[in-house]
Amino acid sequence: MPIRRSKVLVKWIYENQHKIQAVRYCSSLLRYKELEESPQIEPEAVTAPQTTPRPQITPEFSFKYDDLQVRLAAPYQLQPKPEANELGFGKYFTDHMLKINYFKELGGWQKPEIIPFENLSIHPAAKALHYAIQLFEGLKAYRGVDDKIRLFRPDLNMQRMNLAAQRSGLPMFDGEELIKCLVRLIQIDQEWVPHSESSTLYLRPTLIGTEPTFGVMEPDSAMLFAILSPVSAYYKTRSDGAVSIYADPNVVRAFPGGVGNKKVGSNYGPTIAVTSRAAKLGHQQVLWLFGPDKELTEVGAMNIFIVYINEQGDKQLSTPPLNGLILPGVTRRSILELASQWEDLTVKEEVITMERLIELNSKGRLLEMFGAGTAVVVTPISNVGYLEENIPIPTMKQSQPVFQRLKDTLLAIQYGHIDHPYAKIIS
Amino acid sequence: MAQSMMRKIALSNMFVMVGLTRRASSRSLATGKNLMVKKTSNDLPPEEEITKSVFMSQSTDIYTNLALEDWMYRNMDFRKHHVMMVWRNEPCVVIGRHQNPWLEANVPFLSEKEIALARRNSGGGTVYHDRGNLNITFFTPRERYDRKYNLELIKRALFRGFGIKSIINDRHDIIVRDKYKISGTAAKLGRTTAYHHCTLLVNANKADLSRALAKRETNATPSTPSPVVNLSDLDNRVTVESLQTAVGYEYLRTPALQLEDGGERHISKQRGFQFINPTEDWFPGLSELKNDLQTWDWSFGRTPMFTVSRSFPVPSELLAPSKVYSAAQELVISMTVEKGLINDVTLNIPPGLVESGFHGEASVITHLKGKRFTSEALNALQDAMLTRHTSGDVKKLDEKEQFVAKCFDQVVNTV
Repeated sequence: MPIRRSKVLVKWIYENQHKIQAVRYCSSLLRYKELEESPQIEPEAVTAPQTTPRPQITPEFSFKYDDLQVRLAAPYQLQPKPEANELGFGKYFTDHMLKINYFKELGGWQKPEIIPFENLSIHPAAKALHYAIQLFEGLKAYRGVDDKIRLFRPDLNMQRMNLAAQRSGLPMFDGEELIKCLVRLIQIDQEWVPHSESSTLYLRPTLIGTEPTFGVMEPDSAMLFAILSPVSAYYKTRSDGAVSIYADPNVVRAFPGGVGNKKVGSNYGPTIAVTSRAAKLGHQQVLWLFGPDKELTEVGAMNIFIVYINEQGDKQLSTPPLNGLILPGVTRRSILELASQWEDLTVKEEVITMERLIELNSKGRLLEMFGAGTAVVVTPISNVGYLEENIPIPTMKQSQPVFQRLKDTLLAIQYGHIDHPYAKIIS
Repeated sequence: MAQSMMRKIALSNMFVMVGLTRRASSRSLATGKNLMVKKTSNDLPPEEEITKSVFMSQSTDIYTNLALEDWMYRNMDFRKHHVMMVWRNEPCVVIGRHQNPWLEANVPFLSEKEIALARRNSGGGTVYHDRGNLNITFFTPRERYDRKYNLELIKRALFRGFGIKSIINDRHDIIVRDKYKISGTAAKLGRTTAYHHCTLLVNANKADLSRALAKRETNATPSTPSPVVNLSDLDNRVTVESLQTAVGYEYLRTPALQLEDGGERHISKQRGFQFINPTEDWFPGLSELKNDLQTWDWSFGRTPMFTVSRSFPVPSELLAPSKVYSAAQELVISMTVEKGLINDVTLNIPPGLVESGFHGEASVITHLKGKRFTSEALNALQDAMLTRHTSGDVKKLDEKEQFVAKCFDQVVNTV
């Protein structure tokens, strides 16, 4: 499938590739551009570089924030706000949405608009409905202690979104322009974030292929839209605050050469049957294994981490490396970067197999296990159901658990208790 | 290298700080202390940077709405964000910060009809609210407080939306048809924030309004109430919803500092209409403010000291028989009420009543003192008089005592 590239974009990427965080496609799974995955890089390098001036933005390349048109909702179009404890995750939505069309026939990206929240009208043959030509992102806006709204590393989500677009045959765009449009949308719907720290605003930018023809090829029309949802708890945990996960080696979430490392909808649909089965067995999430070695890849919709005492007797934080099967999570990356600054912890990306996990656990060297993602920040795991057996993990029994320290640090940055370049103030 | 070392130290220190601050982080807002951190006071942004919102409260409870107004006044930063809040309430009477509820409203009628009484934080006079009454509060930084701008805005909205012409007089009332007042106004100016609050009569129950606000006779200034009219009487298209939409759009289309029309274009640069759910979860600290407003001590107890005095002619049957009196026999009851509690009671008992055997003064005075100026006092009085009857079985007040009790009743319970 031909990859869509604009000449201008290609030239710019070529000139600046040594500085930007892009995945270079190689035939081998395990080879990566070190920059992206190394936890030793400094947080500052994460932001977009200001080396050569950005190319003039034409519709072929991207839409522009300056072209944004806003139509505010009238009072009769507003939704009343529910009680804060009913919010859940993704059940309620705000009063406005962002919508940007792409039409190759009309030169490419059209002018962005913010409109009152409405249903979409889609042709039944739209490619997104048939071939899952679709991708999405998830990021959060927090109301900080100083009443300012912050976004957590939105530039990383933008990069990831563009890479997924590239793989899906969908048009790419300038992430900075989308961030500016999202900031304006958040400013309008700001009052959907309670003034407390129990809830945040979850942003869901989505890109779908809308061309109404059956051919399995790049759509020549697409739509990028973003909707916001005020959220509180992602899912219920057990009474000890941790979750139980279920591992079935016969089920595969992602495979080499596939799109496991891209945030596309087609990765999530096939997980539902197993998750229901796990729920019936009393588990809250599914642990995704891969290969004859039963490598741990991800858990539910989160990246997985373990803390154990390694051969040298040191406490080590490990997570599987980005080998093509793993979604490069923003929370995952932030955890690796933050934890590598701590002196009492060794941080390593390494393949973890079920055998190793069970071995460490039986020797009492496995201390903690947790999942990390934007929706939940950090969720401790206290039990793994595997091959008819339950393996208890002593995560909640640690006196000063690493997961708690990471969660507190991330939340402190996100809510503005600590000033940090990760959290971008937008109002 | 040094930088990453510093960062390591900083981050490990941060961990300690995180441990402390996270626990105390429930934003300790709104408890009488303005905790806006480091607001440099004189850096007001230029007009283009100010965006406006219209907040519509989802609650119709007067205490919740007053608490919300107070919460916003204490906790929000309005320098770049001007807000107009629209709200309405179930029937209630709202008195100004320094007023006397017994003098401004018919308290017995209110409790009979279960109409709430609330004392707001801003000064000004007493108003009656019901669902046919629209309240509007304009929030701005203190330096940008402009009452005239706000009232002009309403005037323009009335015209643009309904063709209703009005004028604003020197007392900052909005007058239609040259004589009818349709608004009431009050304001609070704080150190950093100010709000201007006005009400518009759209479709209020005028009968209940006049009964609720019936004034007690005192030797204070007699009130000169202006004639009022409901806007819906002038034009039946005016409803609370259509009026709040009209005023909302007028607010959004007008630039923050100048009274000229910016049109649809200006509207598209604002934040627009927002529903607000005033509960503790959405606004931490709101419950405390609301509870303070609902206490008797705040609504009634805050009253500055006042005196009431009434005289009652004694019916002839109660006087000593076959005696002729030179002067009219009147029982005069005076009470001073301080902090809502009866302080001092003076009874002027005419000789006729004394001679016919009434001797209850002392116990009356002792038992009323310190009681709230409500029916509570009267119950205490009745009990006091009853216990005077030492002769066991008679547990009934005699006629004279009944008469005196009735007079007290009138002093407390009628205007």
